[in-house]
Amino acid sequence: MAEPTVRMPGIVLASLMFQHVNSDSDVEGLILGESKLEEQITISDSQADHIQIEEIYNIQKHITCHKLNNFCNGMGEVNLDKLKKILADSKQSVIGWYRQRRNTDQQMTFREKVIHENLKKALSNPHMIFLLLTPSKLTPPGSTHRTEYAAFISHGRQFINVPVLVNNLGLLEQLAYWKVSAACSAAGYSRTMKKHGSVFFNSTGSLKEVNEVSKMYDSLQFELRKACRDVEESERRVETLLADVAALRKRVNEKRGHRMEKDTDAFPPEPKKNMLLHEALEALLSCSPLFQTQTLTLQAFPVPELCCSADSGTDVTTTLLGPEEVSNNDSSRAISRKRLKKVPVRENKKSRKSESQCATLTLGVSVSASQEDTATAVDDD
Amino acid sequence: MNNMSPEVALHRISPELRPLLCSVVRNGRVGLDSTNCLRVTDLKTGCTSLTPGPCCDRFKLHIPYAGETLKWDIIFNARYPELPPDFIFGEDAEFLPEPSELPHLVQWDAGDPECLLQLVKELIQQYHQYQCQRLRESSRLLFEYDSLLEDPNYGRNMEIYAGRKNSWVGDRIVLVCPSFISIMSSLSQDTALDPGEDVALLSVSFEDAEATQVFPKLYLSPSIEHALGGSSALHIPAFPSGGCLIDYVPQVCQLLTNKVQYVIQGYHKRREYIAAFLSHFGMGVVEYDAEGFTKLTLLLMWKDFCFLVHVDLPLYFPRDQPTLTFQSVYHFTNSGQLYSQVQKSYPYSPRWDGNEMAKRAKAYFKSFIPQFQEGAFANGKL
Repeated sequence: MAEPTVRMPGIVLASLMFQHVNSDSDVEGLILGESKLEEQITISDSQADHIQIEEIYNIQKHITCHKLNNFCNGMGEVNLDKLKKILADSKQSVIGWYRQRRNTDQQMTFREKVIHENLKKALSNPHMIFLLLTPSKLTPPGSTHRTEYAAFISHGRQFINVPVLVNNLGLLEQLAYWKVSAACSAAGYSRTMKKHGSVFFNSTGSLKEVNEVSKMYDSLQFELRKACRDVEESERRVETLLADVAALRKRVNEKRGHRMEKDTDAFPPEPKKNMLLHEALEALLSCSPLFQTQTLTLQAFPVPELCCSADSGTDVTTTLLGPEEVSNNDSSRAISRKRLKKVPVRENKKSRKSESQCATLTLGVSVSASQEDTATAVDDD
Repeated sequence: MNNMSPEVALHRISPELRPLLCSVVRNGRVGLDSTNCLRVTDLKTGCTSLTPGPCCDRFKLHIPYAGETLKWDIIFNARYPELPPDFIFGEDAEFLPEPSELPHLVQWDAGDPECLLQLVKELIQQYHQYQCQRLRESSRLLFEYDSLLEDPNYGRNMEIYAGRKNSWVGDRIVLVCPSFISIMSSLSQDTALDPGEDVALLSVSFEDAEATQVFPKLYLSPSIEHALGGSSALHIPAFPSGGCLIDYVPQVCQLLTNKVQYVIQGYHKRREYIAAFLSHFGMGVVEYDAEGFTKLTLLLMWKDFCFLVHVDLPLYFPRDQPTLTFQSVYHFTNSGQLYSQVQKSYPYSPRWDGNEMAKRAKAYFKSFIPQFQEGAFANGKL
């Protein structure tokens, strides 16, 4: 009895899984490929010849049905017209069909069995397989999912589970990785290759599609390189701009620092005396009414308003009033001193006043020493 | 397996499928054992985990059948609710019914809430036929089955389970004892105990094909068991060695019929007894059991001495004598209860009719009361 085996390329399995992952329901479709019987004869001297027949189903492609029950109804009856429409563009033969359903057991359902039998009759192919994939959640949070897959064939009313071997996964046959096709001297093969070879092969003998793929790969690489260059330039520009911005910020901060120092200089806590300026003002503007106070000297000359204090040790009177006026002030000073002695009670006040007068007369400044006092002293005279 | 209440299942199922599931979980009684209803577990979805719920569209349905529980997977598609469901028949992988013989599958109507339940019933019928087919593997069991099938009393109400290979579970034939069906309604029932349907099932298990190890069991619904006097009141005979079901089943049915008839007669007799007492004692009746007619209380007076008489009628009345409990309305015992005396031996005959029993009871009261009064004064305290 033939032992059936199903062989499927990894890319087909991945494609099936990808299809179902992107679908929100069960999916089904048709499987294309070839089925063959291989007879293996083991010749041995110690025992009789052993003949092993292996039935191999090679899955090469699948056709997706975009909705459920596309080629059959709810009772499992196959619609041949729809089936032919699905297979219209396909040149390979149908060797079975598949279904993917989440969170169910790895068993054929009632309708799947019915559909399988009807499909066999409709396509007149007693050797058909049914591929079943059942994804499910492995962990409660859903961080890990698994997909179990199995193939079934029917013998009568019984459905047998057939092992599925995925090419490139543990099946490291040397023949699977041929880079160069084996030489064949058959005349028929040569005629076939001459007739159809130009469709698939270049003049150099390499597959056209492979060349096209390589060209596409080259183009892709070019575009990638170009994109990388653009990114690099952009990054460098950004780097330069950032450096400029940093430098500008630094300059701004420095300028701010200088300005603050200047502001500090413009308003010192203890203003310093600028005698040169003072002399200049005196020389230019001493006679200007703006610099005259309301205070008059004994000679009825207005006392200029100045900001210097006695601490400076400068005889402002001399400098301001000039020498001819100083002598007048001296006499007025003498008069004021005499008056102070006669009235002792008022002396204190007067003494204070006289002090202020003295101050006033001497310095000719102190408006804060009270202008009244200065006026009184003058009136008394 | 995760048990879930019907409400939880209905809450999690996809809204388009809810009406279908509702009739299954609420009205889902199938098969001979109508006391066990259908149960839903393992509710899952065929949608991706990113789909917001409720979107469950596949579950396991537990179906009582022939003493076993069938666990069938029912698979819908939430994205295609109009499509009929698909089924996985558990371990019965070889069970493959003919779709054309399932009318509710042929004309599936997703808008009909009863459609799924009816389809399940049709599948169970097909499953029954499948099991009968499997019986053909054993000639002896097939003979037993065919012989019962010919009898119209049993043939219509049988469930067959042909067992599993490599399992200790043998073949089993479960049938309804037909005599119960016709007389259930005449039994007085305490509906508070079991408001459900009444059922009596005889299950016969054959552990081997030669029928050398046969184990019968009788399953009664709670109300029937209570009416017959509890599980210990009824014992069915063992299956005779070399016997046949066609002989054994009628024997069991007859035994049960006799028992039920006896209980029914007892009911009528009790009712007659109570009626007679009501007639004789009139206003002296304080209260009585108007459903089961098992109790009666009288308030009587003899020479200005008032007393209560409680009459308790046993299940197997009139075979068993009623118990009379005299109770003083004045005197108490040390424990604070009313002083009373129980009388089980007094002039009585099961052959008397109710009227005669009432007369004799009245005469007995007159003769016993002086003695009771003395006892009450002597031993009780006011």
